[in-house]
Amino acid sequence: MASHGITRGPGTAARSEEARQKELQQITAYKDLMDLVNTKLAERQYTIEVLGLATKLLNENPEYYTIWNHRRRVLLALFSATPSEEAPAQSSEELVQGDLLLTFALLRKFPKCYWIWNHRNWVLREAESILGADAAHQLWLGELQLVNKMHQADSRNFHAWSYRRFVVAQLERLATSAHATTSGSLVESEFNYTTKMIKTNLSNFSAWHNRGKLIPRLLGEGNADSKTRRALLDAELALICEAINTDPFDQSIWFYHQYLISTLSPSCPPEDLIVSDLNNGERQKYYEHEMEYIKEILDDEADCKWIYEALLYLAEAYLEVEGGTKAFTTKDMQSWLDELKRLDPLRKGRWEDLGRRLDL
Amino acid sequence: MSLVSGPGRGMTAMPAEMQLYVDRHVRYIQSLDTRKDELEYWLTEHLRLNGLYWGLTALHLLGHPDALAREGVLAFVFSCLHEDGGFGAAPGHDAHMLYTVSGVQILATLDAFDELEERMKGGRQKIGQYIANLQDPDTGTFAGDEWGEQDTRFLYGALNALSLMGLLHLVDIEKAVQHIQSCANFDGAYGTSPGAESHSGQVFTCVAALTIAGRLDLVNQEKLGAWLSERQLKNGGLNGRPEKKEDVCYSWWVMSSMAMLNKLHWIDGEKLTKFILQCQDPELGGLADRPGDMVDVFHTVFGIAGLSLLKYPGLVEVDPVYCMPRAVTRRCLGK
Repeated sequence: MASHGITRGPGTAARSEEARQKELQQITAYKDLMDLVNTKLAERQYTIEVLGLATKLLNENPEYYTIWNHRRRVLLALFSATPSEEAPAQSSEELVQGDLLLTFALLRKFPKCYWIWNHRNWVLREAESILGADAAHQLWLGELQLVNKMHQADSRNFHAWSYRRFVVAQLERLATSAHATTSGSLVESEFNYTTKMIKTNLSNFSAWHNRGKLIPRLLGEGNADSKTRRALLDAELALICEAINTDPFDQSIWFYHQYLISTLSPSCPPEDLIVSDLNNGERQKYYEHEMEYIKEILDDEADCKWIYEALLYLAEAYLEVEGGTKAFTTKDMQSWLDELKRLDPLRKGRWEDLGRRLDL
Repeated sequence: MSLVSGPGRGMTAMPAEMQLYVDRHVRYIQSLDTRKDELEYWLTEHLRLNGLYWGLTALHLLGHPDALAREGVLAFVFSCLHEDGGFGAAPGHDAHMLYTVSGVQILATLDAFDELEERMKGGRQKIGQYIANLQDPDTGTFAGDEWGEQDTRFLYGALNALSLMGLLHLVDIEKAVQHIQSCANFDGAYGTSPGAESHSGQVFTCVAALTIAGRLDLVNQEKLGAWLSERQLKNGGLNGRPEKKEDVCYSWWVMSSMAMLNKLHWIDGEKLTKFILQCQDPELGGLADRPGDMVDVFHTVFGIAGLSLLKYPGLVEVDPVYCMPRAVTRRCLGK
């Protein structure tokens, strides 16, 4: 009912009689399976056999959320069932593995289906209470591999990114409770993961986003001193400037640049600061340095609107700390705004509002 | 059902590329429940109640509110209602926030809360309680159902439905607002949960929830407006995140948020109008995600609601907070 990217065909009216008959057969088979599963579930037949039928139905339709709910009810019953002669029990471990395999196969085919991600998450949380913390730790470690695979297929899949953050939180929690003396923090390796993802594809805003989220933790947990903080800021600015130079038309890069610049401002909330003891003289130097670097790119890319936008937000930041400047004039700002209006007519209204706000 | 072609009649004078095929969209929506010989009909049963809300809302915005028989619609809605006050997608499907919100929206649109009380004594209160019980008392956000998945979509859904029923006092609004703030990112936009990447769909849920809570002052309007305006691509269409493809449904998620921030003029409305109109199936009706793709009722309603925000002539005014006719929300909210 919400189809994406499927080319419009001639419509069902144009189906051949043969195709119509085939579709009717498929419908009958699907409805029979649906009725069978629902009947057995209504009778609370929480057995391995019904679990298998649910698997079959979910393979045909992984969006059928009620069946996922029933599947969890069946699993909960089976986890606590005592084996008998007629119904030899599967161990909880086997059941967990079975559902990890099922959801893995389904995620490969339906990587954006919320219900599959949810079910996998539930199975793993249950596994911890059944199998214990050590086994759970191993299972969660394996999930990082799953995320890597999902990201190889689609490096922007936001389900996979959210899941990764959740998995990391579980691993950190388990490591901390097992070894009370060590922190178990994965913030550094996660930061490196974003570096790897960015190097593969500069335009991966999901990776830039996550990187920005990790920076305050990275600095806070390492009790970073002023020197370390400055080094990180400089390294990040160098990295993003290199990216700008590679593809100045990519908006992901500019959003990250703007984020770094926003942390320089005296009005930046303390918890978001990268360097916490900047004075206004240093701020001006940073702003000037960025402006000079960006202006150099203009020589090759005079028609890149992002450059003019960046010059204007740098100028505005500059004026916040120093009114009288020789780095640029009001006339410069006016000309950058004119370029924005010329190059980006889609957002004309925004540039007009900006001109009014900056008094240009 | 009305056989008179309502608003949209005068559109024939428009150039072909600016034409909205009102009658075909009406017929397309009416046909949706007759397609039982298509496998897709059965594979999408888990969306049935959402689909009814999408179809009904599209018809109202097109000026054909009576194109689906009221009695039939209400009978189906009530058949999805569980004893505990939650709605499932269809009879036999479990209750969930997503369908409960659609159920309430349909009842509100059809002014049918009295009929609800006739069907289930204290029904409105029960639905409100079902929703309120899904709030996480620690974080203020909401789960989708008893299984506990949390997402700002559910938080918005809760505030949407509760406000339509006049029952916002059942939940902790202050806590919910704090949770939304914890989902804000450095680009001024919002994600599904704290730490998650900004996404236009989640921006809509967060900005609309803040609007219902009367706390738009917490939004970084300059930054978010800029981020939203950058969703427009050269072809006029809008995307959901940086460096992604355009899709008609973002005409709603992005534009409704911009409307709530009074920044609709930050994108090119005419180009977007043309893009949305290109996504129509000019023969069989309905709108698709992109020109030439297969249509569905989800893209149909969000495309038409987008056109309503763009003041396309003849369309009924939509409320950007609720994706329902403004006249309906005015009646429910008493303003």
